[in-house]
Amino acid sequence: MTAALQVLARRAGLYALAAWAAVTLNFLLPRLMPGDAASVMLARFQGQLEPEALEALRETFGLTDDGLFTQYGQYLGHLVQGDLGTSIAYFPAPVSEVLIEALGWTVLLAGTALILSFGLGTALGAVVAWRRGGWLDRWVPPLLAFIGSFPYFWLAMLLLAVFGFQLRWAPTRHAYADGLAPGWDPVFLLSVGQHLALPLITLVIAGLGGWVMAMRSTMITVLGDGPVTWARARGLPGRWILWRVAARAALLPSLTGFGMALGYVLGGTLLTEIVFGYPGQGYLLLQAVQAQDHPLMQGIFLTITLAVLGANLLVDAVTVALDPRTRR
Amino acid sequence: MAALPALLGRASVAAVAVGLLACTPVKVPVPPGVLTVSQEPQATWIRNFNPLLPHGLARWPTRNGIYEPLMIWNPLQGERVPWLATDARWVDGTQALALTLREGVRWSDGAAFDAEDVVFTFTLMQETAGFDASGVWQILEGVEAVDAHTVRFTFQRPYAPGIDRIVGQVIVPQHLWSLEEDPTSWANPEPVGTGPFTEVLRFGGQTWELGRNPHYWQEGRPAVTSLRFPAFPTNEQATLALMDGEVDWAGAFVPAIDRIFVGRDPEHHEWWFPAVGGAIHLYPNNTVPPLDQADVRKAISLALDRALICKVAMYGYTNPADATGLSGGYAVWKSDSAVQRGSWTDHDPARAAAMLDAAGWGLDDRGRRVDPQGTPLALTVTTVSGWSDWVRASQIIARSLQELGIDASVKTHDFGAWMQKMQRGDFELALGWGQAGSTPHPVYRGLLSAETAMPIGEPGQTNWHRHESEEADALLEAFETNADPQDQHRAITALQDLMVERAPALPLFWAPSWGEANTSRFTGFPSPRDPYARLSPNTGAEALLVLTRLEPR
Repeated sequence: MTAALQVLARRAGLYALAAWAAVTLNFLLPRLMPGDAASVMLARFQGQLEPEALEALRETFGLTDDGLFTQYGQYLGHLVQGDLGTSIAYFPAPVSEVLIEALGWTVLLAGTALILSFGLGTALGAVVAWRRGGWLDRWVPPLLAFIGSFPYFWLAMLLLAVFGFQLRWAPTRHAYADGLAPGWDPVFLLSVGQHLALPLITLVIAGLGGWVMAMRSTMITVLGDGPVTWARARGLPGRWILWRVAARAALLPSLTGFGMALGYVLGGTLLTEIVFGYPGQGYLLLQAVQAQDHPLMQGIFLTITLAVLGANLLVDAVTVALDPRTRR
Repeated sequence: MAALPALLGRASVAAVAVGLLACTPVKVPVPPGVLTVSQEPQATWIRNFNPLLPHGLARWPTRNGIYEPLMIWNPLQGERVPWLATDARWVDGTQALALTLREGVRWSDGAAFDAEDVVFTFTLMQETAGFDASGVWQILEGVEAVDAHTVRFTFQRPYAPGIDRIVGQVIVPQHLWSLEEDPTSWANPEPVGTGPFTEVLRFGGQTWELGRNPHYWQEGRPAVTSLRFPAFPTNEQATLALMDGEVDWAGAFVPAIDRIFVGRDPEHHEWWFPAVGGAIHLYPNNTVPPLDQADVRKAISLALDRALICKVAMYGYTNPADATGLSGGYAVWKSDSAVQRGSWTDHDPARAAAMLDAAGWGLDDRGRRVDPQGTPLALTVTTVSGWSDWVRASQIIARSLQELGIDASVKTHDFGAWMQKMQRGDFELALGWGQAGSTPHPVYRGLLSAETAMPIGEPGQTNWHRHESEEADALLEAFETNADPQDQHRAITALQDLMVERAPALPLFWAPSWGEANTSRFTGFPSPRDPYARLSPNTGAEALLVLTRLEPR
């Protein structure tokens, strides 16, 4: 076990370096954009405001002409203390406060979507590989590839127009019905589920194909391997071989993929959230960029970075724990 | 035994699926008297009711519903509506302004409103640069309470346009705000104001609701019991809600509105986009040859088919502008002779070609406009990517210029980049808005004044095209120092003549004010039949006129 810990400690050092690089990029990228928050805000009023308002805006937002290095030092200093700064688009709310609610909805939407598409996709992939050459294998993979090649926001708009707007089976915006107070009562939970349905279906359909293909190809290799032949020779039932022997062995690469995908949960649902007006982090990012809200952009990038790094670390740890060959 | 859990699992999945999809979505009915408004596109609401923070940071209607200004400028009627102040008069030329405050006004906590509140508000703006969004302390010398209901403002120099900045200011209560240590980063979560709606009934990231002021000074007003604000993250989402009749009052741009919005309920779905504010201009950079010559600018203007631009790019929501750059909101100021002489806003390609020939840009054998050395004339129209109306207008402009033999092209930039280019004067031709106000003074200060023209490369907030006219500055000053309406009119007429003669910027069309109403639950919305204010909720304090007029059916 000590060997495993050593490996992980070495990795952790690497992750710290990656985190620092990412944090620095998070700081630099927004500042490479032309324009500034005060001008953007002023422009929303298209000549209705006196031009003098610009100075007042810069003053309020605390925009300075300090050099990049001074700003970077301040940014790192505040970050170490856990202070993400004050949002400009949502002034005067602290970035952390703005982030936390949006983060919750995104995790609910994207997390559920990932688990569902992984579960369904992997199971379907196993079955398709098991019956390779059958009608399922002939139709399912091409069909999924076809659907997967649509831009998923287009799929989202289609679902919104048909099921939300024409048929009125599902609500067209928000995370729960207006007028409901958040709580654990069944009506509220039902409403959350209804609002989740369409964006969730979009994401699951869009993500399914990849999981099916990945599982199918690993399964086909595994099905030719010794253990499966051995189980067949023993006369074990097919269903038992499929799930207990073949699928189990083929699952490991997909599981790694799942861990990696976990990291992209926070950044990956931007367009779906925008189409369905879902109050998650994706839409927040759009608004931060439009308002040139550097603190909020940095905060969002930071959560995404940390999620990706954290998921990778987790995958590493799991792999090290499961596979003795990685411990050297 | 193993089959039972699996069966149960499948059954529950099916039940959930049926529950989610087959039954109609949970909906909480909106009680009568509750007005649903969509004004700002937001993903989540942040509880901020600080009216002194720069515009756009506090929730609508902090500055025109919770707090109130001293007077409201109504461009449709061309009048200043007395509000917290009942009268404003000049003292000593335009050196000082005396305001009489309304008696019997109370804050929503029951305390009396008086001159000390007004003095406190302006003093707070003087001490806190971030609060002085209108720049009043750049023109103001001092403010004092003469008695409980009279306030006197003294200017640094005689400045007639200063009245707009003074009477447009919203007033905050001294007895509460003087206790606040750092009001600049204060969100004022429990607002106490003089406005018709002051009580925050509930506040969530997705919806919030604002109830009536129990002490409002207008007897029996407002008739609306509360305002509800659902968060619509995009214009498309707000449009969908409008079509569905979920929103009673909105200020969104809706394409093809007669079909999309009115068509769904012709009896109740109304829109009205009166264009009485500023103009949208094509700005030629006055420092870039040959755009530094007035005749070349006029020739470019003559090549443009403004009616086509309005019809195709703007869905027919607005009308072509004339050469004075003054919309219908300035009807009392408009000089007919200036409008007539400003024939360079007509569509006349033949005259445009003749003027370019005369300016030394003849056609070569390949049909290109070239200077005597044979260098072709190439111009780029800069515009904002994603602003589809402006992009379409720019494309029409470029095509018209190509027909004239100019190598014209359109270049779109991200908003931030576009803004920076405009401010620094880094463009050849560009679409942009003009300033607006209660008089033409800010319009021409932005279009002609040498004072507002920054050197190329230095950011200017207005006069992006860099036109410097000392003559205009003298006329603007004559307007500023004169309280006499006749003298003011003379100055504005001369400014219009100057505008028509110089053509520093090319007015294209009037900027419409987007406003939609659903009259199935409320009556009293402004309309062409009852034009007491603009329908748009995006127009600042005018919204108070509407909010106090609406009545539930």
